[in-house]
Amino acid sequence: MTNSASGQPPLIRARGLTKTFGDRTAVAGIDFEVRDGEFFGFLGPNGAGKTTTMRMIAGVSPRTAGELEILGRDPDRDGSLIRAQIGVVHQQETLDMELSVRENLLIFGRFFGMPRPAIAARADELLELFQLADRAKDQVEPLSGGMKRRLSIARSLIASPRILMLDEPTTGLDPQARHLLWDALQRLKRGGTTIVLTTHYMDEAEQLCDRLVVMDEAKIVAEGSPRQLIEQHASREVLELRFPGGTENLDAAVLEGIGDRYERLAERVIIGCENGEAAHARALEHGLSPESWLVRRSSLEDVFLRLTGRSLDE
Amino acid sequence: MSAATPAATPLRRSRLAEILEALPHPTRWRHVVGYMLAVYRREWQGSVFSAFIEPLIVLVGLGIGLGALVGDKASVITGGASYVAYIAPALMASQAMNLGASEAAWPILARIAWVRIYHAIVATPLKPADVMVGATAFIAGKVAFAAAFFAAVLTVTGIVTSPLGAIGMVGVSTLTGLAFAAPIVAFSVTQKSDQGFAFIFRLIITPLTFFSGTYFPIESLPLPVQALAWCTPLAHGVALSRALAFGTPITNLWFHLAVLSLWALVGLTAAIVLFRRRMLK
Repeated sequence: MTNSASGQPPLIRARGLTKTFGDRTAVAGIDFEVRDGEFFGFLGPNGAGKTTTMRMIAGVSPRTAGELEILGRDPDRDGSLIRAQIGVVHQQETLDMELSVRENLLIFGRFFGMPRPAIAARADELLELFQLADRAKDQVEPLSGGMKRRLSIARSLIASPRILMLDEPTTGLDPQARHLLWDALQRLKRGGTTIVLTTHYMDEAEQLCDRLVVMDEAKIVAEGSPRQLIEQHASREVLELRFPGGTENLDAAVLEGIGDRYERLAERVIIGCENGEAAHARALEHGLSPESWLVRRSSLEDVFLRLTGRSLDE
Repeated sequence: MSAATPAATPLRRSRLAEILEALPHPTRWRHVVGYMLAVYRREWQGSVFSAFIEPLIVLVGLGIGLGALVGDKASVITGGASYVAYIAPALMASQAMNLGASEAAWPILARIAWVRIYHAIVATPLKPADVMVGATAFIAGKVAFAAAFFAAVLTVTGIVTSPLGAIGMVGVSTLTGLAFAAPIVAFSVTQKSDQGFAFIFRLIITPLTFFSGTYFPIESLPLPVQALAWCTPLAHGVALSRALAFGTPITNLWFHLAVLSLWALVGLTAAIVLFRRRMLK
């Protein structure tokens, strides 16, 4: 699964990548590869080591041990050269609040050594692409969270990087702003940019990523496409039965017979199964009478629960 | 170094390679100056106004007010010159100190801890050292600009008569500003909040104005205090600035310049090392 099928060398390649801070191990010898044009995700709860891994890739955190190659180079030796080809969007905003929207882009182009006319042209293109053109002359401070985030991404793309790295890009955004951002990222991917993101949102990883690794406690616990992960680690569908009066009196033998496995919560029973409708019919045959029920496809949330025994929400 | 290393064994890096990597790029720091100029362009009117009006207020308030009070007694310490003429070149150096120090405090910390743009800059081809050199160079430019205004006021009012002396004074003030700015930048990059700045300004910057020969000769202080004063940059800036204004021969020129340069260079080196440590965790 980790060997690139196309025969092209991977853009990012890590073997036994390790980072320790004193006694604390933030990343414990992980292996992964990111291929050209791929949308790659690190999924996991806060503190799993995602951001540290991103920082090592971005050439701002020297690794403690292991191998790391970005665009065929070692960040220990060629930090500046690697950073010249990577766009980074931090979890917290890092924009200059006093400058205008457009000035934030222009200044950044200079950091990449671009000539001024090229920066100006690229800045206008990005303002258009991220729907910020009408705010170009405004100061950054009063912009909405979604706009600031779009500007951060636009800024990271000023030098047309090979790789775009996003750390928790939609944390703190309202649903509408999230969807706008997802659309923009999908457009970028179609344009050929390789995108690496970290997230603790299951739906985000599922929507965006071609391939992802699930991180937990400094290690990678699973790897694959969202579909593969769900197929490998969860049943196809989930049947949820609601019992407002409580679930404690339900017969375990009955519940076991409905699907592949079940989980008993306070007012709900969650049943993993191949076919939710059929499982529901079986539940009724066994004499269960839930107040309501729903069938949904298994999600990465179910995968994470299965792999770690915990929910992703902090 | 990049050969297959077992995961458990920490990488060994050559000390020399690490030092080379920590050094600033020869030219890239200028983009940080460009960034600061872009910010400055939005506020320059206010800054020019205060650079112009501040020396006037100080001269009128302290020189003429205090000068009238001191009266003829001043000539004991001024060697015949008016009290205004005595303190004006010293106040120019002390203004450089104040500006250099404050520019090295809040604007630096803000870009690390509050608006965090330095985190974004070190993710570009620029290195932490480039950010530090650029930020410090911008402060030096801002101090030079304010000093030029001060020197122009002193020249127009006839307090300083030699244009060459006035130019020299701008140079001295700039170096004095740098001698304070660089070590304070080094302090700022280690801070999490701005509480530490109160300590710097109340216990170091403000007292130095009084113990560095600004309002009265340093020689009238007890010997240990004198020795302490000569370890800090302002006394040297004041001595040079006053000699240039009076057109008197400068004794210990190289000693003064060496102390000022040492503060600036050690400060900048410390700033680079400490900023790097903070950004590249």
